Amino acid sequence: MSLLNISCKQATYLISKKEQRKIGLFDRLTLRLHLGICSLCRRFEKQTGFIIKQAKHTHTEEKLSEEVKEKIVGSISKL
Amino acid sequence: MGPSLQANEWVDKYGDILYNYTLKRVSDKGLAEDIVQDTFLSAWKSRETYKSDASEKTWLFAICKNKIIDHYRKKSTSNVQYAEIDTTSHFFDEAEHWTREDQPNEWGINYHQPVETKEFYGILDYCKKKLQELQHSVFVMKYMDDLSAEEICKVLNISSSNYWVLIHRAKLQLRKCLELNWINS
Repeated sequence: MSLLNISCKQATYLISKKEQRKIGLFDRLTLRLHLGICSLCRRFEKQTGFIIKQAKHTHTEEKLSEEVKEKIVGSISKL
Repeated sequence: MGPSLQANEWVDKYGDILYNYTLKRVSDKGLAEDIVQDTFLSAWKSRETYKSDASEKTWLFAICKNKIIDHYRKKSTSNVQYAEIDTTSHFFDEAEHWTREDQPNEWGINYHQPVETKEFYGILDYCKKKLQELQHSVFVMKYMDDLSAEEICKVLNISSSNYWVLIHRAKLQLRKCLELNWINS
């Protein structure tokens, strides 16, 4: 049985592999068993899944300063 | 149109969007400015050969994207040793179970509902920037730009097991940072 027991550290590692569809059959089984009894790792999977989905949706509205814009135009004209 | 006039128009039209795109992918403003400048310079030099089957904007973004990847590549060769330093060892105890201090707590949100507030974007950005350089590069390439694990390993010249370790550590830290600064604030 101990072969099927994995730690939280291993489980969280396997969660990333599962999420990227790079998990083998055996690891999938041990991960499923672990998640069945560990609410913290289930939470980790939900929360990191959320973070990944959000990763593309950040939005910034910074502007290049006029100084930098002038510098860029200046360096183009020197070409 | 005179060359400097055209350059001016370009920088006015695309400067800010390229800058924002870059700023989300590298760790500081000065660096983002340099990459944007490099992008315009390269584009300018090759503008004669540019064929208009792609839009000007798409073409500039493709150049910019390559410049960012070049930056990751250069950084990784000087940073490989940092991949070995584990900044996440405190997350787990000797039996590799979550420590009380760093275990995931309930966030009380709907995980399927995207969050679209400025405040959240700011915190996520802050947390991303706190990652180690290699973790940051891997996270951006994978989850913002959809590169495959194989492509990422090639760019950064790292092994596949290194890649998984970096992904794992990036997620541990981002999760913790968001909990501290967003949920608990």
